[in-house]
Amino acid sequence: MTSFEAAVSAEDLTKRYGTGDAQVTALDAVTVAFGRGELTAIMGPSGSGKSTLMHCLAGLDTPTSGRVWLHGARHGSADRVELSGLRDDALTALRRDRMGFVFQAFNLLPTLTAWENITLPLDLAGRKPDLGFADTVVDAVGLRDRLHHRPSQLSGGQQQRVACARALVSRPDVVFADEPTGALDSRAGAEVLGFLRRSVDELGQTVVMVTHDPVAAGYADRVLFLADGAIVDELRDPSADRVLDRVRGLESAARGRAGVGAGA
Amino acid sequence: MLRAMLRDLRAHLGRVAMTLAAIVLGVGFVVATWVVSDSAAATVRGGGQRTDVSALVQLERRAADPRRPGIAPEVVTRLAALPGVSRVEGVRSGYAALVGADGKLGTTYWPGTAGTDWDGSQRFELTAGRGPQRAGEVALEYQAAAEAGISVGGRARILLTEGRDDTATVVGLFAYHPSGREFDPAVAYDGDTAARLLRSQDDDPAAVPGFDRVEVSGAAEDALVAAVRGQLGADYEVRSGGELREELARSADSDADVIRKALLTFAAVALMAGVFVIANTFTMLVTQRTRQFALLRAVGARRAQVRRAVLAEAVVLGVVGATVGVALGVGLGLLGMRVLPIVGTVRYAVSPWAILLGYAVGIVVTVVAAYGSARRAARVSPMAALRTDAAVPRRSLVLRTVLGVVAVAGGVAMIALTRAAELDEPARIQAMAGAVLAWVGVLLMAPVLVAGVLRPLARVLGARGGPVTRIALRNAVRDPRRTAATASALMIGLSLVCAFATVGQTLTASLTDEIRTAVPPDAVVVRAAAFGQLDDAARATAAAVPGVGALAVPRLGGAELLPASGKGVEVQFTALDPAALGTALRPRVTAGGSDLRGGVLLDEQRAAEAGLKVGDEVRLRFGAADAAGGSTGAEVRARVAGLHRSSELLRGVVLDQALLPAGVDSYNDSMYVLGGDPGALRAGVERVFAARPDVVVLDREELLDELLAPFQLVLGLVYVLLGAAVVIAVFGVVNTLALSVLERTRELGVFRALGASRPLVRRTVRRESVVISLYGGLLGIGVGVLLGGVMQYVILANPVFDMSVPWSTAGVALAGMALVGVLAALWPARRAARADILAAIATE
Repeated sequence: MTSFEAAVSAEDLTKRYGTGDAQVTALDAVTVAFGRGELTAIMGPSGSGKSTLMHCLAGLDTPTSGRVWLHGARHGSADRVELSGLRDDALTALRRDRMGFVFQAFNLLPTLTAWENITLPLDLAGRKPDLGFADTVVDAVGLRDRLHHRPSQLSGGQQQRVACARALVSRPDVVFADEPTGALDSRAGAEVLGFLRRSVDELGQTVVMVTHDPVAAGYADRVLFLADGAIVDELRDPSADRVLDRVRGLESAARGRAGVGAGA
Repeated sequence: MLRAMLRDLRAHLGRVAMTLAAIVLGVGFVVATWVVSDSAAATVRGGGQRTDVSALVQLERRAADPRRPGIAPEVVTRLAALPGVSRVEGVRSGYAALVGADGKLGTTYWPGTAGTDWDGSQRFELTAGRGPQRAGEVALEYQAAAEAGISVGGRARILLTEGRDDTATVVGLFAYHPSGREFDPAVAYDGDTAARLLRSQDDDPAAVPGFDRVEVSGAAEDALVAAVRGQLGADYEVRSGGELREELARSADSDADVIRKALLTFAAVALMAGVFVIANTFTMLVTQRTRQFALLRAVGARRAQVRRAVLAEAVVLGVVGATVGVALGVGLGLLGMRVLPIVGTVRYAVSPWAILLGYAVGIVVTVVAAYGSARRAARVSPMAALRTDAAVPRRSLVLRTVLGVVAVAGGVAMIALTRAAELDEPARIQAMAGAVLAWVGVLLMAPVLVAGVLRPLARVLGARGGPVTRIALRNAVRDPRRTAATASALMIGLSLVCAFATVGQTLTASLTDEIRTAVPPDAVVVRAAAFGQLDDAARATAAAVPGVGALAVPRLGGAELLPASGKGVEVQFTALDPAALGTALRPRVTAGGSDLRGGVLLDEQRAAEAGLKVGDEVRLRFGAADAAGGSTGAEVRARVAGLHRSSELLRGVVLDQALLPAGVDSYNDSMYVLGGDPGALRAGVERVFAARPDVVVLDREELLDELLAPFQLVLGLVYVLLGAAVVIAVFGVVNTLALSVLERTRELGVFRALGASRPLVRRTVRRESVVISLYGGLLGIGVGVLLGGVMQYVILANPVFDMSVPWSTAGVALAGMALVGVLAALWPARRAARADILAAIATE
């Protein structure tokens, strides 16, 4: 990590919901960069704005103010795209071609087979999948014998692995994972996390993962801690225990700020 | 709890909008039917009912000599002298046909070719101008005038008997109100002119014509009728005004009943399509609220309570739909009465029955359609509240499929067990019932057909096609019941359209074939206009045209065919000159020869039934009306020279006209002329008949067009009436798609997040819609053509598969269904494309 090169970056990212008394600030002038070839975890308690941050970074949500850049790797630094101000079609194409997504659940289209789900972003772009790379990915997630099954015929863990494979198969600039293990038992969760880790180590993939699980965060190269819409702490090469310590520290700090009962 | 459900219904009223539209249309159709038929009857009873006739005098039928002089003027004088009589009017009636702008008689059947004398009674209702007062003036029935393109102030040419004609100035237009059953006149002259001009075609030209009937008015009807009867004796038939009015009202009611029944049949078809749409909506609404029902059950609602709650929803929907539907129906009915050609003042009648029926139909249809869903909702387990992927329990398709297969097999067996050769009334009914049963069977099998036909197709096309096609096809087969119900609603209307189109096409094709076989392409056809007959003068004129090679003058009539032994059968006969057969008119000979000098040609079907062969001897008994109204049988013996296939122009037994005994009833409405250059021949024939408005000259194709026109008219009407069922089904497609899109919010969110653009999402929904519509279309067309095959079998006794497939109608229907698919998807596709990605993928 001697030369930090950003894959995604944001500057003064602010997101407010509602107006007047009911206004809520989900993100408060966040400036952040996510390193290329790193697995970055975003942690924080419920309502800390971690999902909102990810949605804004991915162009799924529009920030109230601030800017987001996606830095192309393969195409050199000239291929820097600013997301703010892009129209829906351009954002859609960007998501399709240069981002990958893994959501907590309901990731897959129920009518498509595992293989069709994996190649869907390429299909949508009208590109032929790179079969060699697709094979690598499929083997890596261990789904070779399940490719022609429908999502309803797969377990939750298998479904999530299909989602991971889909996120990777188009070799995106960044993969966004929103609580990817939230709906899984610990073993299936470990499989998915292990796979994301390997995609970074072996394929040089950039992954940004939102999670509230210290164990999941333990797989990351770097953990960002969010509270009340701001980045309050950061940890490099964490272990689950160090993450947990940091979370406890933040929670007690939050309780100290807001009085008893907050932070739940 | 009921309140909760109703509040719920109000909240998702948008989701049931299309269902409401289906109920509204169905109810509207029923109510409009009722209003139109009631109003038509009321109009005839009220507007058309005359109050100025206390007694009507006509000659008794047996005293009515065909060459009668009618009722003598002195009878009118005698009746006028009776006490209590305030008005006596002798009514004349005779042949008088209005000549159109083209110099020929019109082709409408009604009003006919009758003329009468103008009087101040309620017979005439002026719509323009005034009544005729002197020679050279005439009043015309307003519709006849419109058809001939003549208005007040114009000159009308009127064809009379014995080739006379009259030209007079039109001073008025009228609507006619008969006092009893009579031919409605198109022409009215003043009394003196009418006496001078009007003759019946049967009248003795030399005799002074009397009155056709006498109308008597007076205060005390019963006494008056008795007095008239006493005065006139047994040769006269006297009916009271009350009887006449009752008769007219009865006939108006029975006419209204015929209209009502015919329209109700189509309304029932529309309602049937509606049932599928409504049932499908409720199924989807219940599915979407599975967790809500589970929660209700978990907190203590009994099954019956859940069921009643869903049914209450249906009732509310039915009431709302029926209310709008009744209003629509009344509106449509009143509009329909404006469009219908009705004589005089239109009376609108909206009976409470129409409104009650509208509500009953709306509520019953909705509740029946929702019943299955209500039961399913009640069976939701309370446990389902705890699960995210809970589904409403559904009965398996096995029973439905088995019933469907049994119905199709049974229906086909019922048809197969009838034989074309012996298709009597019960067999026809059996075959038609079989067809309907099989049709219902296909409806029952529709979900399995989706799984069995559409799913493999989706697999093949989906694997090859791009993501849009793939996802659209997979979505279309995702829930076979839903797709089946949607497609079935389309199928109902469309299959009937195609069935009628097939019958129409088959009849057209068979008639075309018959005419083209019988009439040579170069023949000139001389035909009586306005449903009349040709007379001796016309026949002589045709024969005298220069260049005539062959002239066929077929006379048609009825006779009894008596085989050597056994019972006689009624047959039609066609008598003509043997020299013309095979030249100007060509039979389709299937056995033996066609030379009438050697014997008669027998209809092959009759011959087969009677076991007759070429060379056998047959006897034909002709009935001839004698002066006393009885019949004298004249018998003719003949050898069977050949067999032929009976056709429209050469019917039944074809024989030499020389064999026809004198005085046998027959009619001749067409002649077929052949010879020399066809263009010159036609010009020559047209020239000699230029002065005969009652004779038209056609070529073969024009004759065909004339004969086919009534079919086209009826078919067009049937298509329009079936349109309602198709429109309701289209609402069903919109509904299914809209609710499906709602259900797939999450999926659509993921789809969008992964990079599906809005246009692509729209395309996907649209393609799904087109797939469902086309599936319904193909099913409808396929089933319709087969149904049409059975119908033409029942009507014509042709083999079932000898139907003519109406390719153009099928093509138009299929293209229409594709368009329906695109249009139905407009709104749901927009909704799908607008889906909020974040809301869709949010986990909580």
